[in-house]
Amino acid sequence: MTEPLLEIDGLRIESRAGNEPRTIVGDMSLRLAAGETIGIVGESGSGKSMTARAVLGLLPPGLVASGTVAYQGRQILELPEGRLRQIRGGEISLVLQDPFTMLNPLRRCGRHVVELLRDETGGRLSRAARRTEAVRRLAEVGIDDPGVVDRYPFQLSGGMRQRVGLAAALARDPRVLIADEPSTALDVTTQKEILALLKRLQAARGMGVVLITHDLRVAFENCDRIYVLYAGALVEVGPSVDVEAQPLHPYTLGLLLSEPPLDHKVLELPSIPGSVPRHEQVADRCVFSTRCPWVEDICTAAPPPLVAAAPGRASACVRLGEIRSEITARRATRVAPAPLLARLPSAVPLISARDVAKRFGSVVALDGVSMELGEGESVGIVGESGSGKTTLARCLLGLERPDDGEIVVAGIRAENIAALDTATRRRLRQAIQIVFQDPYSSLNPVRTIGAALGEALAVAGRPASGVGALLNQVGLPAEYQARKPAALSGGERQRVAIARAIAVQPKVIVCDEPVSALDVSVQAQILNLLARLRDQLGLSYVFITHDLAVARQATDRVYVLYRGELVESGPVDDVLDRPAHAYTRRLVESVPGAPKARLAEAAEQLTMEGGS
Amino acid sequence: MSTDGAAIIVAPTRVGRRSRRRVPIPIVLALLFLAVVVFLAFFGSAVAPINPKTQNLNASQLNPSSHFWLGTDLLGRDIFSRVLVGSRTAMLGPIIVALGAMLIGNTFGLIAGYRGGAADTVVMRAVDLMYALPPLLIAIVVGGIVGGGYWAAVAILVVLFSPYDARLIRGATLEQRDRPYVEAARTLGLPTRRIMVRHVWPNLLPLVVANTFLNFAFALVTLAGLSFIGIGVPPGTPDWGQMLADSRTLIFTNPWAALGPGGALVLTAVSMNLVGDWIYELLSDRGRLR
Amino acid sequence: MQPSLKLSSVADLFGTQSQSSRRPTSSWLNPARGALLFAAKRLLGLAAVLLVISFGTFSLLTIAPGDPAQLLLGTRQQSPAVIHAVRHEYHLDRPFLVQYGIWLQHAVHFDFGRSIRTQDPVWSDISSRLGLSLFLGIYATLITVLVGVPLGVVAAVRQRKLVDRGVVALSVVGVSTPAFASGVAFLYLFAVRFGWFPVFGAGNGVVGRLYHLALPAVALSLTVMALVLKLTRAAVIGALEQDYIVFARARGLSERAVLSAYALRNAAIPIVTAAGAVLGALIAGAVLVEVAFTLPGTGSLLVESVEAKDVPMVQGLTATIAVVIVAVNLLTDLAYLALDPRMRFGVGAA
Repeated sequence: MTEPLLEIDGLRIESRAGNEPRTIVGDMSLRLAAGETIGIVGESGSGKSMTARAVLGLLPPGLVASGTVAYQGRQILELPEGRLRQIRGGEISLVLQDPFTMLNPLRRCGRHVVELLRDETGGRLSRAARRTEAVRRLAEVGIDDPGVVDRYPFQLSGGMRQRVGLAAALARDPRVLIADEPSTALDVTTQKEILALLKRLQAARGMGVVLITHDLRVAFENCDRIYVLYAGALVEVGPSVDVEAQPLHPYTLGLLLSEPPLDHKVLELPSIPGSVPRHEQVADRCVFSTRCPWVEDICTAAPPPLVAAAPGRASACVRLGEIRSEITARRATRVAPAPLLARLPSAVPLISARDVAKRFGSVVALDGVSMELGEGESVGIVGESGSGKTTLARCLLGLERPDDGEIVVAGIRAENIAALDTATRRRLRQAIQIVFQDPYSSLNPVRTIGAALGEALAVAGRPASGVGALLNQVGLPAEYQARKPAALSGGERQRVAIARAIAVQPKVIVCDEPVSALDVSVQAQILNLLARLRDQLGLSYVFITHDLAVARQATDRVYVLYRGELVESGPVDDVLDRPAHAYTRRLVESVPGAPKARLAEAAEQLTMEGGS
Repeated sequence: MSTDGAAIIVAPTRVGRRSRRRVPIPIVLALLFLAVVVFLAFFGSAVAPINPKTQNLNASQLNPSSHFWLGTDLLGRDIFSRVLVGSRTAMLGPIIVALGAMLIGNTFGLIAGYRGGAADTVVMRAVDLMYALPPLLIAIVVGGIVGGGYWAAVAILVVLFSPYDARLIRGATLEQRDRPYVEAARTLGLPTRRIMVRHVWPNLLPLVVANTFLNFAFALVTLAGLSFIGIGVPPGTPDWGQMLADSRTLIFTNPWAALGPGGALVLTAVSMNLVGDWIYELLSDRGRLR
Repeated sequence: MQPSLKLSSVADLFGTQSQSSRRPTSSWLNPARGALLFAAKRLLGLAAVLLVISFGTFSLLTIAPGDPAQLLLGTRQQSPAVIHAVRHEYHLDRPFLVQYGIWLQHAVHFDFGRSIRTQDPVWSDISSRLGLSLFLGIYATLITVLVGVPLGVVAAVRQRKLVDRGVVALSVVGVSTPAFASGVAFLYLFAVRFGWFPVFGAGNGVVGRLYHLALPAVALSLTVMALVLKLTRAAVIGALEQDYIVFARARGLSERAVLSAYALRNAAIPIVTAAGAVLGALIAGAVLVEVAFTLPGTGSLLVESVEAKDVPMVQGLTATIAVVIVAVNLLTDLAYLALDPRMRFGVGAA
């Protein structure tokens, strides 16, 4: 075993500020060797980003780290600032998550990359040398246009900015690179490019890379070994191939199962009930015990240690010996696929949009898009940022007025809401409702849940006493009506948002990325809820998403948008399995984990052609 | 893993982080001081040891003594009593300015921010104009030329302060307007007025309250400045600004003539500022929009 | 000064960077052209402001109570013939807008007529006093900037430590202490009690001026410095919270470089943006200070003229002050342009 480049042992990060001490990370350990890529996987609140910051001594004020962090055998946690500064960037470097805030907006890109370079004597490089270096390093990250050196960050796209950030982080040739969610803020096609770039750079430079992500698929595809963090504690460690095939901890299993499969639709997604607790709430027991289906007294008696469960693998499940076979069985079970639904095409579509066009100044958001929604259907609108999918949704709802085109919702002309008379407008508003993406801002923070839902009920003429039943319908206890949104978790807030939408008994609900801001384990809950409500209440959905797996699960038909144009449409299985348009193909291929789908499809093609 | 089904999820009760912050000592003192000033504004003349209006030319320009605690002014009036009673003009005018500007500013700001259009243009242009000119100057010029005394000055300040408030509220409204919860309210078909008043404005409350306090402090200082120059209160009224102006003739003999009203003025303004800042932090911590 | 200055969140001043165009600006204006466009727009705006102010100033004569002609003659009663002559001389018998036009024409040449009080040309009175006020203003500004900005930076860097608390306390007191109150206090303490500074007079020669005007300048700068302190501190704290600071440190940038090139450089923008409003506070305070210290500057002239209802003088003074304010605003706009590259490319940042 080669000498580890980076070794963390028993790292603990606490917040000392304010009145209540909080623990962000309870106990974190890892080893990284040169040429290796390890992944730290966790949902929000797991503490993964803070771990990265702690390694470099960059914790925000008020947070304190204890434990050991060793780089090439030397302890670095307690080093004085001066020594730490030499290590930062020169030995260990960090790339941040959001390319739009990572770069100094007042500094040109080239300057970012070369400002720390020094020549052999330690002096600054000449202007010519700086420029040459800048161009060279930008080329290394895939930017061939030397003009970028003189541009400011605001003149570049997100993907380009991320590349510049990478170049800057690697300027002093560090041996270790920590990439904190390096692609989360980017479109899936750009994501793939950036991750591939990362791989190339690592191979070329022989670095060790720590990839922090919440996306399991990204971790499995890009990392050799993964560390699974939950509520501030490590629950499983192992090579990604093994962990994916055979998880050794109930949480990992749950995470794997609740990811919507990319390649087929299931009847109901397995999910983990509840939500991620704060570390202090579970510090004296197994952190996962509050949500684990196999929980016993031994799990809540004391925090289980992380022990080796197989060569190169570790698990913090104290009951692993007993339940191992059950876990394996569950993993192998193919969750019941959804039966092919023979939905009769309805005579009159519920929504009909024809040639909708909209521009904002000089930017064309929608360029003649047409779509239809039949009664009882769930139709997906898929695209990346800038595709116009959100604009289309807003036009359907009357939140935007299209420049051109015709929209009919439930028999009412909807493209010019202001022109309708009050009664018709009210009918229209009650026919179509929306669930937004961000659960944290879709509820009024100063109003109680009961007040917000009561108001919605009142619009439909239903009595306020129905709030309790409404909450139960979305899986929340009636007592929640007295609470304010701040007291609810993200998943719970989204449920309230859904309750608000169904309160007026609409025919159509527009779901604008309803799960992309939620943790994976909660996503599945919400998708299941939406599916159940659809059956119970006879709803139809317009489902906006950039996530193809979610589209596969939640929709019957799908429309693919690219830069304001409709490029492809059809039944979701057809479009995702056999994409006709080049862009759709690229989209499908960019999803991490997709190659397997493609290989399967290619194999199918061969057999179909009679193996000639 | 268990599937969701129709199970009712009972999550652990999230006790909102009610950080039991104790009120810091300076704030307690500030609140106490303000309470005293308010009390004096109402009952000052009853509490004052000597009638503040009584002139006694024989007792003019005396130094502090056991009878006249801060000495007497040019006309023999007791300075201490006048300081006490001066709290009336220190409270009354500024409160009206603060509340008036808040009312006008909030209305215009809300409408401008939420609906845009004509109201928005008016607010923006007005502020652009005002930004260039300090209110005090305009008050001096207009108040001085047109005359009208204290209440005219108060009215002028209400008009001059409103655009700043409107701009502040407009900005905050704009920030809220595009948030999903407001759009959800629009989608529900709720009337615009209801959305503005019942949905958006409550989220602006920390800003509004804190700003009112700060407005008060600023109005106090500006009005005092006006009376210092001689515009505003009629001569002879016990008013801290005017007393400060008068004290200059006594500067060589009785510094307390300046310290009394000056100190009262500064302490009141400081208290208001402190409380305003503190309220802002308090209100915006609880349930604040991320 | 303006309470709203204190409350406008620094985030607003920074602009929401992560929301600014997520796509490369397709129309990359030539930066020079972008700068010119911006300057032109601002110039137009400021010219409009001047116009409106001049209009308001002009109407002072009309809105003043009493007959304008009588007003212009002062308190002496005159025969109707004289009044009629004055009315004709001052064009009071012509339509309002024509009067305005005539007045504006003269005003552009610095001809505001004669002062009612002194009977001298208004402009000569103003210009003789302007020097003193400008000296005082610049003196106070220098003190404010040289003390206030560094203090604000230090407070931001050492947040929550003693220095920061002291600075915050100082700024609260400074904002609450109007310039005349501190002026009188200083007068008593340092001039009367300790005798370090003279009580009266404005001094001669540069050194004399510096000495005589020291107290008034410090008193004046106290209020303004409090504002600048708060502003600088908030701006630097805001800058230090940004992601690009973390990234810079993560790459090994020295703390000195982080502070200067990254934090301060970025914080300068909101500070400069608010400079216009700070100037307003300075001018208002200057008037009060001049009265408090009985300095023969334009501020005290304004107060005297207002008291005496000397309308032409007031008009002249208001116009002058407005021009000064507008000129400084233009300068700060240009500085803003120089500081923020986003403006040059037509991408609104704030």
